[in-house]
Amino acid sequence: MKIIKTCLTAVISSMMIFSPMAYADKWSDQFPHIKATGDIPGDCSYEEMSKKNYKGKTLKINTHAIPVMGEPTALHAEQFEKLTGAKVEVTHTPAGDLYSKAMVPFQAGQAPYDIVFGFSNFINDWKRYLAPVPKKYMNSTEMKDVTKSHMGVSSWDGTMYQYPVDGDRHYLKYRKDVIDNPEMQKKYKAETGKDLKVPTTWKEYAEMAKFFNGWDWDGDGELEYGSAEVMKKDDLMFAAFFSRSVAYAKNPRTPGGFFFDLETMKPNINNPGFVEALTDWVEATKYVPPGGINFGLGDEIGSFGGGQTLFSFSWDDAFIAAMQDDSPIKNKVGTAPLPGANKVWNRVSNSWENQYNQAPYIVWGWAVGVAKKSKVKDMAFDYLCFFSNGANHQADLAIGRFGVNPFKNSDFDPNIYINSMGWDPEIANSYTQTLLDMEKSQNRVFPLRVPGVFEFTSAVATGTSKALAGQLSPQEALDEVAKEWEAIVSRVGKKAVRDAYAVGVKMEDNQL
Amino acid sequence: MSKFYTFLKYFFIVFWAVFVVAPFLWALTTSFKDFQSVNGGVTYIPWVDFEPNLEGWKVLIKSPAKGGVDIVEPYFNSLFVTCTASLISIILGTLSAYALSRYTFKAGFVKNNDITFFFISQRIMPPIVLSIPFFLFLSSINLLDSLVGLIVVYIVLLMPIAVWIMVDFFNKVPREIDETALIDGCNPYQAFLKVVLPNSIPGLIVAGMFCIIFGWIDFFFAFILTFTEVQLLPVKIVALNSSVTPWWSLSASALVSVAPLIIVAFIVERYLSKGNLSGAIK
Amino acid sequence: MNFKHKYFFLFPGLFVLIGILIFPIIFVVRLSLSGWNSYNPGLDFIGIENYIRLFTDDPRFWESFFRLSFLSVTTVILQYVIGFALAHMVWKDIKFKRFFRVLFLVPMMTTPVIMTVIWRTFFHESLGPVNDILSNFGLSPKWLTDPALAKFTVIIVEVWQWTPFMFLLLLAGLLSLPKEPFLAAAIDGASPVRKFIYVTFPLMAPISIGAIIIRLIEASKIMDTVYVLTSGGPGTATETSSFYIFIKGLREFQMGYAASMSFTYLIIMIISLTIIAKVLTKLLLKE
Repeated sequence: MKIIKTCLTAVISSMMIFSPMAYADKWSDQFPHIKATGDIPGDCSYEEMSKKNYKGKTLKINTHAIPVMGEPTALHAEQFEKLTGAKVEVTHTPAGDLYSKAMVPFQAGQAPYDIVFGFSNFINDWKRYLAPVPKKYMNSTEMKDVTKSHMGVSSWDGTMYQYPVDGDRHYLKYRKDVIDNPEMQKKYKAETGKDLKVPTTWKEYAEMAKFFNGWDWDGDGELEYGSAEVMKKDDLMFAAFFSRSVAYAKNPRTPGGFFFDLETMKPNINNPGFVEALTDWVEATKYVPPGGINFGLGDEIGSFGGGQTLFSFSWDDAFIAAMQDDSPIKNKVGTAPLPGANKVWNRVSNSWENQYNQAPYIVWGWAVGVAKKSKVKDMAFDYLCFFSNGANHQADLAIGRFGVNPFKNSDFDPNIYINSMGWDPEIANSYTQTLLDMEKSQNRVFPLRVPGVFEFTSAVATGTSKALAGQLSPQEALDEVAKEWEAIVSRVGKKAVRDAYAVGVKMEDNQL
Repeated sequence: MSKFYTFLKYFFIVFWAVFVVAPFLWALTTSFKDFQSVNGGVTYIPWVDFEPNLEGWKVLIKSPAKGGVDIVEPYFNSLFVTCTASLISIILGTLSAYALSRYTFKAGFVKNNDITFFFISQRIMPPIVLSIPFFLFLSSINLLDSLVGLIVVYIVLLMPIAVWIMVDFFNKVPREIDETALIDGCNPYQAFLKVVLPNSIPGLIVAGMFCIIFGWIDFFFAFILTFTEVQLLPVKIVALNSSVTPWWSLSASALVSVAPLIIVAFIVERYLSKGNLSGAIK
Repeated sequence: MNFKHKYFFLFPGLFVLIGILIFPIIFVVRLSLSGWNSYNPGLDFIGIENYIRLFTDDPRFWESFFRLSFLSVTTVILQYVIGFALAHMVWKDIKFKRFFRVLFLVPMMTTPVIMTVIWRTFFHESLGPVNDILSNFGLSPKWLTDPALAKFTVIIVEVWQWTPFMFLLLLAGLLSLPKEPFLAAAIDGASPVRKFIYVTFPLMAPISIGAIIIRLIEASKIMDTVYVLTSGGPGTATETSSFYIFIKGLREFQMGYAASMSFTYLIIMIISLTIIAKVLTKLLLKE
């Protein structure tokens, strides 16, 4: 009897030990994409999706161009089709047109797409056409893993309209093979009397960039330059400007508004904090590569990722590109929080405070919503949950060109990057630490998400690019922007803008 | 003196030819590059400066799930829409042009030239603003995201071109031809079809070519008015244009999209040279 | 000529055109009287507020018009002169005539949106071949980042793309010229220059005028080139009216205002083109 019991226990326990592995293998055989981890249990895992039957139904998705976000959308669409029997049609649109591609039909009362991809700062404009994320998904195992700040970015005043599938932030990237190089450090100290280290202020950033501008410091036969930045007057450059401004203008001691003063709705955009940042930026035109003033995001990624510059500081993509297997600077780049400043403007006392200030800019990133008028909302939400399920998300993170970046608590494990992407442990650790610190900071800036947001950002783009081109001085340029902002506020309606901005301020003042 | 002129002539022609070809050559080498070859520095000759690969070309037939943009179907869609719209535009446009050339119209103070100008002025309006009305218009007759809907819109864009070119060419064909035909017992329609039209073939060819070109290269209306069912070539290619611009696949796609029109160019040139032109009158 | 026939010829085309266009045109006018934008969609009625704003509070629009005139007139003149020269040269017998004729047609057939991307790499200041070659001579012009030079770059691209248009029209025109005047000139022993000024050019006048007017209309809509090359930059150096309307309309989604800008643009263009046409006709046909 005892023997039978023992055998039975052995058999049952071994079945239990081996069954998760058998569970994982079954799906990763069919879907090689998740072969590193196998299917990870959860409400939207491969296993769960295979139980659904959407045969005969069609899902229409508009997403970004290939490959950033476009390729994973198409890939997961294919997988979804296989698992559920649905038909999924995906179209791809360049970044700048995602807004109009979604909004023109919405405003005409139509919803030709069930799922629309866009940027998270569309939220105010398109939330009235989107279906809020149902409770079922809010309580799913996958959703519970999302970090607080990304839940905030996807929601408006407590209701989630955008399904979290990606996280974005701006941070500093630098060439480790220069900054951490003892020879370079000696040289820099000898010629400038200062230490070569990861810059913690924008002034240090500028000094180092200028020093390393215009000569071949990595011995590859090509000239290198100081910094690659998004300066082309397009839809993204204003984000680069804000990244440079937050240190000077986001003062934790003056809550109640970063872009505007919440009370009066007077723009802050031309206060000395912002002007100082713009002055820095005009100075930067001296240490960017030739043509750098016309760099769009793609050029920046190509420039830093191709080894042309010492620094870069916008989205993740340049760093991921640099760490690709075929990159000549793989494992030679490091990450750090955005530089701060040694003085910050206090808009209440109308003076500078001479103390160190740093603020992460939780910049907007990829966002996706389900159309309210969609006839297949259940299927749409299932797809999105599947898109970001445990297995898919980890696999996506490992493929740089997909553009999927960390936003779940479990993403901040360095081992993911060391094992699947072949990153140096030191670099992987500093990467995850930098990102984690941004989540924890209490002095953050969130993107502007008010009605007419594009009018505001377009004004910033026009004004700052005039300064960069030397058409106006920084103060004149920002004064022009401030005037335009006031005009926009009165056109849109002060109350509408203020009510919307109040939501953002709540987040910044850590009240949400 | 004339030797100098000849030299100058050849020099200018060769210079312009080089200018025309240069970007294509650049596109050709770029289409075989990859990220590093483009961003590392300037490279020119395959195998000498950089390692060529076919990624840029393969991407054009791979499916999006594998990182490509399958352009085969959009290619044919574009061909179909362009040719159909051009054909209809030419037929309607030529008829109208004939009327404007041969007959006098007078409705109040609106005369021939004004009507012609009305046709042409349709091309002045910037497409952006027409996007929402056309969108609403097509959605009200349920033709959004369809080949027919696009053809309808393209007719509006292309007919003015056909009208304007044919009016010019008809004006060149002397009225004696018409009159001769009428005297010989034809009714006006026969005169048109059998006599005037054959003499205007160069005009028809040129008008046809412009219609096809303007239809083929349109991006804007195809973009706004289609979703998932119908994809035209320029819209599909631009789907490659993500944050890291893939110069190599865009170069390959530029070359591929020019190809059919080069065939059209050959045909046009042939007819121009053969020309049923001035001599036919006698 | 029988009355009935002329209507039969004219009306199919005219009706189709008006039929399809009537709704959009009326809609645009109505749209311009509304405040349709991203947070306030729908056709509310705000009267001529958009127009007032346009005429009193928007210097950027008028600046863009000024730039547009400069860019379009320059490119059209260049295209006309070069196109005519090329057409004239490949008109009669030269070596490889047919090859050149086809070659010169090709640029027009490229999709501007895609081709301009190629141009962007071509003129890329650090990674493009142009500056790479020029650097051997110590030159490194800032093709896309210097305000004045950027305009020039846009002109180069436009000229490359659209000279074939002029070339084709003028070549077709040349090929259909009657032979008699030339025979007469030959008998008179006229030199090539005189032949051109007194015979060729006047005969080509009608088609020249048509070509110039059409090219002006098309050139004024320059959008793709500016968008891809410079996004209207640096600063606002290459921002044309249609680009500005594009930004206001599809980027900032101020549809009502964009409609009023477009309608104003339409009226101004119609007026200027009519004037230009009349002037050209007087100048060229008086010979």
